[in-house]
Amino acid sequence: MLDRIDLFKTAFALARHSGARQATIAENIANADTPGYKAKDLQPFSASAATTKDASQIMVATRSGHLAGAHQASPINIIEARGRSTNPNENSVSLQEEMLFAVEAKRGHDRALAIYKSGLRILRSSLGAK
Amino acid sequence: MSDFSNALDVSISGLKAQSQRLRHLSENIANADTPGYRRKTVSFESEYGGPDGIARVQTSRIRTDQSELERIYDPAHPMADEGGHYEGSNVNLLIEIADAREAQRSYEANLKMFEQSRKMSSNLMSLLQK
Repeated sequence: MLDRIDLFKTAFALARHSGARQATIAENIANADTPGYKAKDLQPFSASAATTKDASQIMVATRSGHLAGAHQASPINIIEARGRSTNPNENSVSLQEEMLFAVEAKRGHDRALAIYKSGLRILRSSLGAK
Repeated sequence: MSDFSNALDVSISGLKAQSQRLRHLSENIANADTPGYRRKTVSFESEYGGPDGIARVQTSRIRTDQSELERIYDPAHPMADEGGHYEGSNVNLLIEIADAREAQRSYEANLKMFEQSRKMSSNLMSLLQK
């Protein structure tokens, strides 16, 4: 039932994306001292939203970049993070950058859950529940 | 959800690897004055495998540093040769301490990621509460 409502779909997609990103960042940090390891990252959420095929499911926004709607749980692609500095042992993980991305992922996840929760609350009050 | 358990799993493997590194470092430091001791070096490698395809980290085989042992002049030493020299260890305390500090930082980063993944999944669980 809830997956038919766009708001829940979008929140779900963002939460899923943030969760996957968290796992990727954890992998990078664990391998921060592994020789030859290349840092990985996910495509940004807005990019995966733009590849949604069905035009009727794109959210209407007055400005591009205003709303990033991802309705389908599109497949999450892990890409190699390019343009990062490389250590002498060919490891391209920078702990500082990863910490920054981890905070981004956490905030995205919190935001998605907050939206989901408030949607649930509205549904509940429409059902007359306290 | 499985993203979070992957993230926790990877962070744990990082913690394990770093603490093993710290263990070998403290062995080296403890044996800094042992005659004939060669310092142990340990490297990390990614362990790909399993159906989930995540890169856990593990320590590689331990190698011993083959650089020259320090020759110390002490004719009174029971292991001294005719010239009055004996072979000490090739541990350089400065290197070991710097390495230990790096291991500590990486350990902290992994711990932080573990904490954050745990928080994110428990936020997700709290959606089930009313």
